[in-house]
Amino acid sequence: MTVRRALLPGALLVLLAVWPWVAPRYFVFLASVVLVNAIVALGLNLLSGYTNQLSFGHAGFFAIGAYTAAVLTLRAPGVPVLVTLAVAGALTALVGLAFGVPCLRLGGLYLTMATLAFGFVIAEILLNLDTLTNGADGLRVPPARLGALAFATDTSRYYLTAAVATVLVAAAVNLVGTRTGRAFLAIRESEIAAQASGVPVAAYKTLAFGLSAFYTGVAGGLFAFVVGFLSPDAFDVFLSVDFVVMIIVGGLGSVPGSILGATIVTVLHDGLAAFQNYRPLIFGAILIACMLFMPGGVTAAWSRVARR
Amino acid sequence: MHFVFCLVTVALALGAAAPAAAQQGVTDTEIVLGCSNSFSGPLAYTGEQATRFGVDLYFKALNDAGGVNGRKVRTVYYDDGYKPQEAVANTRKLVEQDKIFAVIAPQGTPPVMATLEYLEENRVPLLFPFQGSPVIRGKKYVFSGMTLYDRQSRMMIDYLVGPRKLKSFGVLYQDDDYGKAFLAAFEKDLARHALKLTATESVKRGVTDVSAQMAKLRAAAPQAVFLVLTPGPGAQALKERQKIGWNDVVMVSSGPLTDEKYLALAGDASEGVEGLSLWPDPVTSDLPGMKTYREAMQKHFGKNEPNRYSLSGYFAAMLFTEGARRAGKNLTRETLVSALEGINGFQSGILPPVSIGADHETQRQGFWVRVEQGRFKQLTDWLKSD
Amino acid sequence: MTTAALVHVVVSGLATGSIYALMALSLVIIYNATRTLNFAQGEMLMVSTFVAWAAQRALGLPLPVTLVVAVAAAGLMGWLVERVVIRRAIGATHWDVLIITLGLSLMLRAGAGIAWTHDEFPFPSFFGTRPLALGPVRLAPVSLGIIAASLGLMAMLYALFTWTRLGRAMRAVAQNQRAARLMGISVERVYSRAWMLAAMVGAVAGVLVAPVVFLSSKMGLIVINGFTAAVIGGFGSMPGAVAGGMLLGVVENLAPLYLPSGIRYSVPFLVLTAILLVRPAGLLGRVEQRKV
Repeated sequence: MTVRRALLPGALLVLLAVWPWVAPRYFVFLASVVLVNAIVALGLNLLSGYTNQLSFGHAGFFAIGAYTAAVLTLRAPGVPVLVTLAVAGALTALVGLAFGVPCLRLGGLYLTMATLAFGFVIAEILLNLDTLTNGADGLRVPPARLGALAFATDTSRYYLTAAVATVLVAAAVNLVGTRTGRAFLAIRESEIAAQASGVPVAAYKTLAFGLSAFYTGVAGGLFAFVVGFLSPDAFDVFLSVDFVVMIIVGGLGSVPGSILGATIVTVLHDGLAAFQNYRPLIFGAILIACMLFMPGGVTAAWSRVARR
Repeated sequence: MHFVFCLVTVALALGAAAPAAAQQGVTDTEIVLGCSNSFSGPLAYTGEQATRFGVDLYFKALNDAGGVNGRKVRTVYYDDGYKPQEAVANTRKLVEQDKIFAVIAPQGTPPVMATLEYLEENRVPLLFPFQGSPVIRGKKYVFSGMTLYDRQSRMMIDYLVGPRKLKSFGVLYQDDDYGKAFLAAFEKDLARHALKLTATESVKRGVTDVSAQMAKLRAAAPQAVFLVLTPGPGAQALKERQKIGWNDVVMVSSGPLTDEKYLALAGDASEGVEGLSLWPDPVTSDLPGMKTYREAMQKHFGKNEPNRYSLSGYFAAMLFTEGARRAGKNLTRETLVSALEGINGFQSGILPPVSIGADHETQRQGFWVRVEQGRFKQLTDWLKSD
Repeated sequence: MTTAALVHVVVSGLATGSIYALMALSLVIIYNATRTLNFAQGEMLMVSTFVAWAAQRALGLPLPVTLVVAVAAAGLMGWLVERVVIRRAIGATHWDVLIITLGLSLMLRAGAGIAWTHDEFPFPSFFGTRPLALGPVRLAPVSLGIIAASLGLMAMLYALFTWTRLGRAMRAVAQNQRAARLMGISVERVYSRAWMLAAMVGAVAGVLVAPVVFLSSKMGLIVINGFTAAVIGGFGSMPGAVAGGMLLGVVENLAPLYLPSGIRYSVPFLVLTAILLVRPAGLLGRVEQRKV
């Protein structure tokens, strides 16, 4: 990597590392939320941006990861947080794979509808598994633990989230160079051509579901620790829609796009909070303007500008 | 790169631009209160009424009269859309950026529960949340804002089983914390009378049709059916009852449901329906405090009709002011808590005399009503819930 | 559970299903013509119904005129949205348009809340409240009325699509846009008319359903059920939308009758999933054969 190309990611990494020292406490919390959303956006992009399977049910995967991490920390407090997150991710991935298989037969809108149904059903299941999830009353999440260390402050939780996010972003960036990544890109360009070239499309599409679910599940676990409280109300279809907005605004099928989209949407949503009931009005207007003036999302617009 | 710089600058500017109020949200001239509430989402109407047309209504009048102990009250609100994670973010922002003194009148059990631990940790008082789940009991800095659901249930069951001599009950409840809390309370209170619920049916928020649930309830033939719903589905249930001609049952609305909105929506299907009323009639009651409330509403928000949601916010502000007044010049979070605990026999002109005490419950009252000609007619005096 | 009660519940389900069918139809009309999913469909019909309601209250209009106002407002809104917003995004992908309609739905819902508050309001009904007795069975006039009105509207739409020039043009554009253009059909005009027509169908649904679920800023969320219905029936197929809607309405009502609280709300989605497993393009849809 040339010095110039490494400059931006390098600067971002530095900013990431020093953020709790330069930002007020609330913005450390907000940054954790941004990072969690960025991981989900990455995962969603793997599915929707790369293999064209638009999902409006990712709040479901998010919820599975969140509740898994929470319940595990409650029932088995000795387990180190990284293991907890890995388990949350793995369980969610299994669900994703299981769900991805029947979805192979579905195309376009039908698939999207199936994901919508998935999201609803997961929320219902979590609401009714009272003994495990505390149902409608909501579940308080104890702090994550790593041996004797408890992640009980905003700063510690931020670093946990940032560390996990960095690893997952690096993995996503590397993925593009691997065989799997090339297969995904091929499927995105043309499913039929990929199939004709010998790419086992069905296997990769299912894998995409699993990977996407893994990312989202891990993010869900982090979310549980950052927010500290879970309730089925939190994981409704509007959350799923928020995730989709993030990747489309950022730019489909792009790792920087996912991060950028998540950042923009989260910060904007937070920044407009003082407008109370005017907030959706302004946010909606910004979304419309965004897509009218930056078709293809921010990264697409950026490349157009950069190319000039 | 440039973009990142801008983002960072904006973020830091946002941080730096926070109002430079005193550490605890109290200065010689000002007290800052706030909450995260619903200004969008399923409970947007109640949220807006309780805050902007309730809490703020009282404080407008108070500030015009010079404030409390020379301090005017300012409020800050953020929208959480009934999402617990948004409530957490908003509440942190209020405490850390806006530096509020206390949280007043937030809404809903999940959003409030989500913020509970954070507020307790940071010793920020949580005053009079608009929710009735008993889970908020026993917290040092929390004061209830509604007659809690278990008290409401006790009053309702004791009244119906006692003086009204009813024996079989059904429940149509909303499938969330509100509905389920009441369900559990009903079961417990009936058990005290050696009775059980005959039939229970759940309804999802935002439902379009309750015909199946009502048909099942009817098949079980209870003498009375409790409605633990919000005004929309509640009115739908009444209309459905009218459609199927199920006239020999008493429909009983829970405290939060017993309000004029529900009657307006149900129209003539509401005739004869009973319920537990938590407040006097906002429009017709001639209690002195109610008159003042209506006059203030007319003056500041002429187009807004008096209603129970804004009334509860108004009352919350009134209670806070009484506590702040008693705490005096040295207003800290601790002195406020002690002052509120010491409230004994406070005459609001709206509710029976309020006495708080160490259990931090500010409301324990309710009285029975029946709908006659489109309005709630009071049938009993204030019921006991102890 | 008596048979009479069961019949009542099913008829009630058919009424709700008719509303879902109308919503599904309006979604399908836009999708067929423009390949766009209109996220704001529900909010557009909600605003049209609110406008009609406000007019009715201010001017004391009789109910049929109120319906006309709602339909006219919807037509205008559909035309405006398509011309001012959607057409500007003509070069964009359908993802972008999705976000645009989403942004629009947010704006409309917030706007309605600002204009009329987020409160719920009773809406006058065309149909009386006294039940019709057919032997032991009691049927609510409002259910029958909704079913009849919806069927009437569907018949009108059928006539429109089969026998009018506009209808044939819309079908042509739905089949093959390029070929339609080559045949001299103004695709832009079809787009515009599709948006207007869909909005107007939605407005009728709004006026029919508002007395039942009450008029409020969140009334537009019903369109999610419309979407589900359209997919069940086969997205793009109009008879499918109708069948899907009716089926969904009845299933939604029967589920609480026979299933406990834990599972009853998932049933519509489980039914959807089951149908898609067996028929991946919905009941009456055809799997799109993409040729290279």
